[in-house]
Amino acid sequence: MQRFGLPRFEFVGRFSRNRGALIGACLMLIVALMAVFASVFFPTDPLRIVGLPELWPGEDPEFPLGTDSLGRDILSMIVHGARATLLIGLFASAVATIIGVGVGATAGYFGGWVDEIAMRAAELFQTIPNLIFVLTIVVILGSTLTNIVIAIGIVSWTPIARMTRAEFLSLRDREFVQACRSMGMSDFRIIASEILPNALPPVIVLSSLVVAGAILFESAVSFLGLGDPNVASWGRLVGDGRQLIRSSWYICAIPGIAIMITVLCLNLVGDGLNDALNPKLRDR
Amino acid sequence: MTIKVSRRVFGAGVVAAGLVGTSGQSLAQGTPRRGGTLVATWGGGEPQACYVPAGGGSSPTFSSSKLFERLAKRNMDGTFEGVLAESWKPSADFKSYTVKIRKGVKFHDGKDMTVDDVVFSVGEIWKKYAAASALTDFAGIEAPDAETVVFNYKNPTPEFFFASTLCGIVSYIVPKHVYAGSDPVTNPANNAPIATGPWKFKEWVRGSHFEYVKNENYWKKDQPYLDRLIIRYVRDPAGRAAAMEAGDIQIGVFNPVAPPDIKRLTATGKFVATPKGYEEAVWSTTLECNMRNPIFAKREVRQAMFHAVNREFIAKTVYYGYARPGTSPIYSPNKEFFTADTYKINFDPKKAAALLDAAGYPKKADGKRFTLNLLSAGWFPENGKVGAYVKQVLEDVGVGINLTVPDRPSSIKRIYTDYDFDLAISNQANPSEPVPSTTQYFTTDGILKGVPFRNASGYSNPDVDKLVDRIKVETDPAKRKALVFEFQKITTQEAPLLPLVELESITLASTKVQNHSNDPNFLAAGWGDLWLAS
Repeated sequence: MQRFGLPRFEFVGRFSRNRGALIGACLMLIVALMAVFASVFFPTDPLRIVGLPELWPGEDPEFPLGTDSLGRDILSMIVHGARATLLIGLFASAVATIIGVGVGATAGYFGGWVDEIAMRAAELFQTIPNLIFVLTIVVILGSTLTNIVIAIGIVSWTPIARMTRAEFLSLRDREFVQACRSMGMSDFRIIASEILPNALPPVIVLSSLVVAGAILFESAVSFLGLGDPNVASWGRLVGDGRQLIRSSWYICAIPGIAIMITVLCLNLVGDGLNDALNPKLRDR
Repeated sequence: MTIKVSRRVFGAGVVAAGLVGTSGQSLAQGTPRRGGTLVATWGGGEPQACYVPAGGGSSPTFSSSKLFERLAKRNMDGTFEGVLAESWKPSADFKSYTVKIRKGVKFHDGKDMTVDDVVFSVGEIWKKYAAASALTDFAGIEAPDAETVVFNYKNPTPEFFFASTLCGIVSYIVPKHVYAGSDPVTNPANNAPIATGPWKFKEWVRGSHFEYVKNENYWKKDQPYLDRLIIRYVRDPAGRAAAMEAGDIQIGVFNPVAPPDIKRLTATGKFVATPKGYEEAVWSTTLECNMRNPIFAKREVRQAMFHAVNREFIAKTVYYGYARPGTSPIYSPNKEFFTADTYKINFDPKKAAALLDAAGYPKKADGKRFTLNLLSAGWFPENGKVGAYVKQVLEDVGVGINLTVPDRPSSIKRIYTDYDFDLAISNQANPSEPVPSTTQYFTTDGILKGVPFRNASGYSNPDVDKLVDRIKVETDPAKRKALVFEFQKITTQEAPLLPLVELESITLASTKVQNHSNDPNFLAAGWGDLWLAS
């Protein structure tokens, strides 16, 4: 079994053979740049009331995407919202990946009752409808950015755990692992430095999809008015605008399109990663 | 009474003209048509119980007031009229009132309503829950014969105050045989009430609606005109607008839809909007300071919070002109007691900053003086917007703000039970009589942990307590008015809680709905006289 670590050009080549993935990656780069340089483009607080309420896009050149019902600049909120939205997506995905890989690796490597307990726990989490679970956690813990990240992480780890466990099950009895055992390596070292690198490629693909899922969860939470009111996020903007959907639909539509593009791009990037990391699956 | 247009001045004059012009149709006289189902909604959420003995806010008031009845009601022209009482009169010393009870009234389960029920309701429900702070001087109630009850008071009690107590929004007559010997707060009948009103409870589909059916044995002959009344809850104003447009809901009280939708729907000619029917329940959006935070010990700090806020902006932008700046805890439509001569806290951020500097809270290196938790009660979507605005203006004067907008149950718990806030944006609705509805937000006896819409700021001032005690017992109307003016002067200067804006509440109804908006607190009226034109 070859170790993870393809020659770099080969990885890039495989990834870019998927046109959709390339476009997705470019758009994601733009969103990421928006997030990084938000404060450079729009140094003032995006939640500041700066103009007349409900200006349509293009009505006032100062606010190219218009203003919301209180007179806040939608472009500024979109750009700053990219930061909040991406941060939530990435951190929630990180939380889910850490929990998922930890649980999955332990369950797959040790098997037996450890596996039983871990998988029954995972099933328990899977039986609760995700969105309702997220809302419950946010309502109990309070609607701050950190709590929303934790809540999304807690509901999103199970597929990663299952995937990791399956990879570990197929790898744990291979010769190279047995060789490590016979050399007297500790369990932790075998898991972390021998099996995990080989099990990671599909997990990375899955994690990139969890980012997209997390963005949708955050949008739903904010849409229902349970988001962090101190932070400009796209879902919040959609939620604020929904009252006015009949008269000023652009307030909902603009952040809605931003969410759609970002989630689509993340899915495309996930596909590309899949092609690049699992070349054998490509022709199936 | 024909509503004085002058005191109903809208921010948007054009809209006002349109509303006043069309509201005439809604009150069109004619022979009531019988039968039909009316589906109603309101601009808020589902209640915690169908009937909450202590009130519990407007939502349970709306749902319970169609089933239960009070002893009296106030009319649009300001006069009082008996409902379950036929008449009342004070003794010479104003220390007792003799009330004649209506005969031939039956509860929904067929049992007669008697003076025993009245004695029980007043002694066990009003005194302990519904009107506790209005009955602090109450010395008991007795029934000398089968159609008379006598209210006794320790001190002289003004007539206007007594009549207002009889009209209290949840001062209902409840059946003794259902409530005696139980804890009224947890009595299961609260979710399937038995009462005397025009409507009988049929079912509550949680998350959706209440279904009420016609009370065939209602004491008022011919009423109710309709066969069925459904109270439906739609969480979202845009959803309510869509449901009304589709004809699923015929009437929405208390701002059911967003202001732009009011204009859109009335323009179709199928709906009328009217500001009538809120004269005895004028709403406001309030800002209150939690006195348990030592920062607010100084009056200047509390005043600074209000100096920082431009109330005109809130009225115009958040409420689209369907609001006006609040200047006093007694609201401007109150003919009896409002005064413009109060301590004025105008919009002046510089003064706010100066007051905070002088109070010993200069800006620190990070530009902040101190940081506060601002809780905006999430039961009305506008509160979240007011919260976002207040956060911004307070941050402009160097006060750091953490804003939270919890949902209705969490907001009630955090403001009125846990006192878990530094600044809170909430709402209240008050009748003309200031005691106790208005005064209990300021008096020490209004600090009741766990009881919503009372003194949550924890403000306690012996001078205010004494003044309110004098207002309670002053039987001379002119002298009483002067005392209430003084109350307004003190509270506006002390500023533990003040209205930011007085809200212009709107009822939106299909042109088919007749006889609506004919009560000064229409949301809490019985609705037996409503009918649907064909």
